[in-house]
Amino acid sequence: MSTTMIVIGIVALLAIWLIALYNRLVGMRNMVKNAWSQIDIQLQRRYDLIPNLIETVKGYMTYEKGTLEAVINARNQASAARKAIEQSGGPTEGSLKELIAAESTLKGSLGNLFALAENYPQLKASEPMQRLQEELSSTENKIAFSRQGYNDQAMLYNTAQQTFPAVLVAGVFGHHPADLYQVTDAEARKAVKVAF
Amino acid sequence: MAFNFWEAQRKARSRTSFYVLVFILLTLAVAAGAEWAMRAIDTEDYNPPFPLIGLIFVCLTFIVALFQYLMFRSQGGSYVAESVGARRVDPAYATLEEQQLLNIVEEIALAAHLPTPAVYILEAQEINAFAAGLTTENAAVTVTRGCMQQLSRDELQGVIAHEFGHIYNGDMAISLRLAAMLMGFYFVLYLAMRMMQLSNMQRSSGGRKNSGGVIVIGALILAAAGSIMWFAGSILKATISRQREYLADACAVQFTRNPNGIAGALKKIGGETVHDMPKSGMAISHMYLADTSFFSDLFATHPPLPLRIAAIEGKTYMPDEWKQQP
Repeated sequence: MSTTMIVIGIVALLAIWLIALYNRLVGMRNMVKNAWSQIDIQLQRRYDLIPNLIETVKGYMTYEKGTLEAVINARNQASAARKAIEQSGGPTEGSLKELIAAESTLKGSLGNLFALAENYPQLKASEPMQRLQEELSSTENKIAFSRQGYNDQAMLYNTAQQTFPAVLVAGVFGHHPADLYQVTDAEARKAVKVAF
Repeated sequence: MAFNFWEAQRKARSRTSFYVLVFILLTLAVAAGAEWAMRAIDTEDYNPPFPLIGLIFVCLTFIVALFQYLMFRSQGGSYVAESVGARRVDPAYATLEEQQLLNIVEEIALAAHLPTPAVYILEAQEINAFAAGLTTENAAVTVTRGCMQQLSRDELQGVIAHEFGHIYNGDMAISLRLAAMLMGFYFVLYLAMRMMQLSNMQRSSGGRKNSGGVIVIGALILAAAGSIMWFAGSILKATISRQREYLADACAVQFTRNPNGIAGALKKIGGETVHDMPKSGMAISHMYLADTSFFSDLFATHPPLPLRIAAIEGKTYMPDEWKQQP
C-alpha cells in the first residue's frame, strides 16, 4: 500500500518537474527568437538598402563593374543565408556560421566600394549617397548593439539545455543549442566604428 | 581604488538615499530650531499649545513640494523640452543631419534596452544636451544645433549615450524630487518676505502694534529657516547631481563600448567659447550634459570637465574586465 503511494508520489513529482522544464525551455527559446528578430530586422533592412546603393553609384562608377558585382553577389549570398535561418526556425546548428561568413564578405566588398567612391567627389557629395551611407552605418551599429543581447539570451538557453538533468530530455523535447553570433575582436570594433 | 561599475552604481544609489534622509532630518531640525527661537524671542505673545511655527514650516514646504512634484510628473519630457524652446524632430521631414541624430538615438535605445524617446533639437550654438521625463516611456532627449554641427558621429553617439545613462539610472526622478523640495523652501521664504512687507504697511497705517510684532518675528524666523534649507538643499542637489554625472559618463561607455566618443565631446565642450543656452533653462541646468554657468564648486551641478574626462579615460567606475582593453 505505502509503496504504491510512494511510487505514485515519485511519478507525480517527476511529471511536475518535466512540465516545468518543458515550459522553461520553450520560454527561453522564444526569448532567443525574439532577440534574433531584432538582428533579423536590421539585416533585412541592410539587404534592402544595398540595391539602392548600387543604383545610386552605378551612374558615377561606370568603370568599377567588378566591385559593384562583388557587392551584389555578397549581398545575395548573405540574404540567402538569412532566409535559410528564417526557414529553419532560428539560428541553430551552424546555420549562423554561414551567415557570419557571408556578412564578413559583404562587409569587405562594401568597404572596397566606399573606398573607391572616395575617387568620385560628386558622388560623395550627393545627398542620396550620404543618406545611404548614414543608413548603412546605422544598421551596422544596430546589429552590433543587438548582438550582445542575442548572445546573452542564446547563452542562457544553451546552458539550460546542457546542464544535468535537463540534458537528458532537452533533445527529446526538440531543443538544440542556439548558435552564438560571434565575430572576432578586430571585426567587432570595426563594425561599431564605421565612419566613411 | 578598484571601482566596479555595478558596485559604483549601487553605491551611488544608496548614497543618494542617505543624503535624502539627512536632508529630511535637517528639515525637521530647522523646524524645531525655528520653534525654539520663536518661543525664546517672543515669550509674551507667542505661546500656542503646539509647535505652530515649526508645523507651518514643515507642512507648507511639503505641500508645495508635493504639488510641484506632481506637476513635474504630469508634464513629461516633451513638456520640459518644449518649455526651453526645443523643436521635435519629425522623421518624415528630417534633413540628413537630423536623420543621423534619430538613427543614433535608435542605436543607443537598442544598446541600453530602453524604449526610443522623443528627440528634440534646440537652436543654440553651444554644445549641450539634456534628457527629461520621469519615466522611460515619456522621456525626451534634446540636443543643441551646435552638438550636431561640431561633433563627429562617434562623439554625438557618446553624448546621446550619456543622456540615456541618466534615463537608465532614473536620475531625473531624483533631481526633480529635490528640485520640488527646493521650490517648497523657496515658497516659504517668499511667503515670509510678503508677510513682513504687509505687516510693515499695516504698522505704518497705525494698526495694533503688538500682534504686528509677533507676525514680523514669525516671518523673520520663517525666512531664516527657509533660506537655510534652500541653501543646504541647493548644495545637496548639486552634490547628488555631480555623482550622477560620473555614472552617466560610465554608462555612455558601457552602451557604446567606445570611450573616445564621450571623452572627445567633453573635450570639445571644454574648448568652447560660446555660451548661449536659453536663460529659461537655468532651472533645469542640472540636467544638461555640461553646466558652464556655475559660480562655485559647491553649487556646480556637474563635476569639472577635466575630472570627468580623466574618469572616462582612466576607466574609473567601470568593470574591471574593460580596463584590460587597450
